[in-house]
Amino acid sequence: MMYEFKASDLAEEIGVRRNTIRDWIRTGTIPAKEGPGKRYMMDVAEYIKLCDKFGRVPKVDVNMAIEVEEIKSLAEMENGNHAIDLNNRKTDSLYTDPSWADACLTCGTCASACPIAGVDDLDPRKIVRMAMFGLEDELVDSTWPWKCTMCAKCENACPMNIEIVALMRKLRSKRERDKVPGPIHKGVATCLERGNNLGIPKDDFLFLLEDLAEEMQEEGCPGFTVPVDKKGARLLVTINSKEPFAEPDDMKFWWKIFHTAKEDWTVASENWEGVNWGLFSGDDKSQKIIVGRIVDNIEKLGCEALLLPE
Amino acid sequence: MLEYIQSGQITLSQDFHTMKATYHDPCNYGRKSEKAFGYGYYEEGRIITKECCADFQDMEPNREFNYCCGAGGGAWALPYNAERIFYGRVKARQIEDTGAELVIAPCHNCRDQLMKSLNKEFDLGIEVKYLWELVADSLVVPGQEVEADKETAE
Repeated sequence: MMYEFKASDLAEEIGVRRNTIRDWIRTGTIPAKEGPGKRYMMDVAEYIKLCDKFGRVPKVDVNMAIEVEEIKSLAEMENGNHAIDLNNRKTDSLYTDPSWADACLTCGTCASACPIAGVDDLDPRKIVRMAMFGLEDELVDSTWPWKCTMCAKCENACPMNIEIVALMRKLRSKRERDKVPGPIHKGVATCLERGNNLGIPKDDFLFLLEDLAEEMQEEGCPGFTVPVDKKGARLLVTINSKEPFAEPDDMKFWWKIFHTAKEDWTVASENWEGVNWGLFSGDDKSQKIIVGRIVDNIEKLGCEALLLPE
Repeated sequence: MLEYIQSGQITLSQDFHTMKATYHDPCNYGRKSEKAFGYGYYEEGRIITKECCADFQDMEPNREFNYCCGAGGGAWALPYNAERIFYGRVKARQIEDTGAELVIAPCHNCRDQLMKSLNKEFDLGIEVKYLWELVADSLVVPGQEVEADKETAE
């Protein structure tokens, strides 16, 4: 059975713009086809799945698509048949202190503060409760803690100071490293091995800095150079590797300011990376090593201050 | 950077950015810094932005209550694009409500989400600049005023 819709209606339903819906259809994020009269068609089950994903109530009866596996479990949950046996769960793996279970008042203020509450049928309150009940495996497998941006809006709103962000990060850290989504673990591994997330070789980096410095001289900063490994400079500047990789001209903003302010600054020739994805992947050990390298550079060069333009 | 301005090491002009501007509070500099280190950097970025932009309008809510751009915590690099855009709808609405044409982002990650994603997805028609980009573009360099004027005209 097909569900017929206008891009603008679906856009309003989800809270994005029409062109975003069209984009999602084009890229397959929404599995729909163009239909007659500027309308689109998608399988009704897909529509219900989409509503489920963004925490919306479908405009059709959920039972219309009961044959689909994901929907079936949803319908069962609604009928109260879906129970998880909590008796044999360890409850102290995510919270060492059992009193946490009493600290959370289950008021749901955190969920109200969260812009993606309802996505995948989860929100901060549910995740805190699941953690209290020891549902570690379910949470570690869930992609929700990775869709969360750890913005701390929930925690800021929580009347009981539950450490929700630390919980999210802990859930991320408990994933096996080869199951960390996207490139962030790979970036950490590359950074540990080669000094920056994108593996830019030292020679290429230094050549680029010289090249850009020459451009700066022509662009109204006479005598400008990038001081590399300058001992005794006041300020050590780290660099986001995306800039030398893809947006090199963006480095000039800071440089222009330094030049004008007559700042005594320097860039390290090695371990100059300013991005630390260990923070996001939940990898304390690597995060510490990467921070340690920056501290080493500060000590080696005798700098007084650090600029991490992140 | 605030030191440079206050000590007179650099001079800034509001003539380069006459449009209405707003300032995005990154979670990490504000709310999370306050929690982790006991101090949230809310005012510094605003003082600097106002030095460069006379027509300034804060988003609502702001500072510790500000909404995330939607791409924090590594989300810009993670593969959940639809969720990231959905997340950003709140930010997009906040920006739209200010009527600002220029949004200042003091964070790499927020700037990419605002400039490369939300601007397009939500038809915001805004310009997004890094805080340091705004300062670099507002510098008054002795003897170079004429050249700078030309740049604005372009």
